[in-house]
Amino acid sequence: MTVVPLAPVRRWISRTQSAHRERGATLGSLYVGALSIAIIGGMFHRQVAEIFWPPRPDASALAAASLVAVIYGLLYLALRRLGPLALSRPAASWLLPAPVSRRRLLLPSLRITGIVAAVIGAVAALAITGHAAPRSEAGDEVALLVGSGALIGLALLLVATAAQAGGRWGDALDRLIGLVFAAGLGGLVASTALDGTGTISGWPTPAVLMPVVAVGAVVVLVALAVVIRGLAATPSDRILEASRTAGTLFDTAFGIEPSFLTDMIERRYWARRQLRSTTLFPRLPVLVAQDVLLTLRRRGRLLWLLLGASLPVLLSSGPGWVLGAAVLVGCLIAGMTATGNVKTDAGNPVLLRLLGLSSRQAVMQRLWIPGILAAIWAASTLTLLDVLGDLSSGPWWALGLVLGPMGAAAAVHRSRVGFVRNELLPLDTPMGTLSTGPLVNAIMGPDMLLLGIPAWIAIAQGRVDWSVVLIQAVIAGAGARFYLVGTTSDERTELAH
Amino acid sequence: MVDHPAVEVDGLHVGYGSTPVLVGVSLTVPAGQGVCVVGENGIGKSTLLRCVSGLQQPDEGTIHVFGGDPGATPEFWRAVVTTVEPPTWYPGLTAREHAELVCRAHGQDPSSAGVDEALERFGLAGHADAIPPSLSSGQKQRLVLAIALLRPSSLLILDEPEQRLDREGRADVAGLLADYVAGGGSLLMASHDDSFAEASGASITTMESLAS
Repeated sequence: MTVVPLAPVRRWISRTQSAHRERGATLGSLYVGALSIAIIGGMFHRQVAEIFWPPRPDASALAAASLVAVIYGLLYLALRRLGPLALSRPAASWLLPAPVSRRRLLLPSLRITGIVAAVIGAVAALAITGHAAPRSEAGDEVALLVGSGALIGLALLLVATAAQAGGRWGDALDRLIGLVFAAGLGGLVASTALDGTGTISGWPTPAVLMPVVAVGAVVVLVALAVVIRGLAATPSDRILEASRTAGTLFDTAFGIEPSFLTDMIERRYWARRQLRSTTLFPRLPVLVAQDVLLTLRRRGRLLWLLLGASLPVLLSSGPGWVLGAAVLVGCLIAGMTATGNVKTDAGNPVLLRLLGLSSRQAVMQRLWIPGILAAIWAASTLTLLDVLGDLSSGPWWALGLVLGPMGAAAAVHRSRVGFVRNELLPLDTPMGTLSTGPLVNAIMGPDMLLLGIPAWIAIAQGRVDWSVVLIQAVIAGAGARFYLVGTTSDERTELAH
Repeated sequence: MVDHPAVEVDGLHVGYGSTPVLVGVSLTVPAGQGVCVVGENGIGKSTLLRCVSGLQQPDEGTIHVFGGDPGATPEFWRAVVTTVEPPTWYPGLTAREHAELVCRAHGQDPSSAGVDEALERFGLAGHADAIPPSLSSGQKQRLVLAIALLRPSSLLILDEPEQRLDREGRADVAGLLADYVAGGGSLLMASHDDSFAEASGASITTMESLAS
């Protein structure tokens, strides 16, 4: 088949689109974007500088190694989730099935993701160096380390691109990188628990770094050539999937509607799973049984949740109120692990009508598993903080357990929110117009965390006794009960607010 | 319930914006009988069914389902099953588990309710472990109908149940609907297929004949 040259087609599309666009619209968008970055940079440059290059190094060697695992692991996993090579949705519809060179079709995507991955890799290297390296005079060393960070970013992109076109080894590698990421998080927690011992005392010399970076650069260049050669073999389904992801991301950003993205991730997850029908636990209420089944089917999530119970330790050296807030937000996240069904019912009540249950019955049953997960999560994390000596000893485990109803109410409330209401009146502020729809949407769910104020105060002060546990139990229990009674009815099935 | 007609519609007016869709529509579905509304696309069949299901408020007119107002109460939905709107399937639940969930919510023992037999009857036995979004549109339609007929109900409101079914599937579904009506159930459906409607045991009425 004759291959149609792609460049003229792309030029024609671009020319025709710009003919329909308002004159100077693109330039206007670029101007607004650049101005926003300049204003935000001008306002926060000191804070940003401190994030990347604090006045004194504050991370141990273990923390630095863990940060490498966490940041680059996350970069790889993000690249894999996004594709990494994708086309716009119109291009995927019209150019992918056209007789054009697939290599040329995908090259712009590789170029853009390559630049992004290299920049992220370099910035990450700068931040890690800034936090961990000694403050002696160093210029070439920093440049070489930042350069090696960019090379790592590029290398990860190339591996992810090969995995996109390749077979099952890509999934195995994803799991391995997931473990590396988890180990990095564990290392960060351990380094905080060890109180930052084992700092880096000297720089590697440029004589050592230079050959390593040079060899790395050659390897990346060779790999880049191999990947470009193999671009034509990238299967259409993988490109289509990545294009849908990119399109959904665009919709999410444009509509300020995160549920587009989370729903897509959820759908893809289950589409890949091989399930075997089982009997719902007959002794449990029917919706509780369903939630138990769904939770047990996502054991990986439970493991991440358990690992996440150690993350508040990272904040133990910060202000107490931040640690307290993190524990409460953790309860919400833990509860939301099991509220996928609430979201389905709130979005479309057809199945609830088939079930013939009232909204009160449904929400009552749906609160159980999120409550148990939130309680176990909070009890684990507070016990860990207690054992590590970050909190003075007391019945922290009990305080964690009584946070369960609060976590359940917050998680179920969050899952019933539905789409962002963009029709709400915007607010005019001195900084510009503020859309209230996304704001209202964002606080629904977290607002129920106010039921955890006694626990928040106790964690901030680092002291707890049984009277606090009792007060928290009453407030959380009563709050969850009021939420149930106030937002549901025995006379209707719909869950949405 | 049997003292009242299953569905009683009188003087129904519904419009979308300035476009009237239903003008003075009246309809009665006697309890234990089936009625099939036919008519061309856009004539208002689905709108009528949505109003009877309580999913859309008419501009004017009265609707009674078993003597009461159609509504969103659990009691109404325990008596009425509708396929006017497509469901969003629960994530991580197989086709069989969806059927079992609905049975259990209605206090039925799934084994004696005949979940497996229903899936077999609708040609879904080989797809019991599939998640519904992975099924074809025709198989999804079969699953909806299988679940609708599996759970206890007094009135079925079905919007073009023959859609996306192959010829054999249509005959099977028509037979099951005829059994439902013969067993005392009431049926209101919209369809484009007269022979399917007749085989379902429903009397055919045109949208034009319902308007005053």
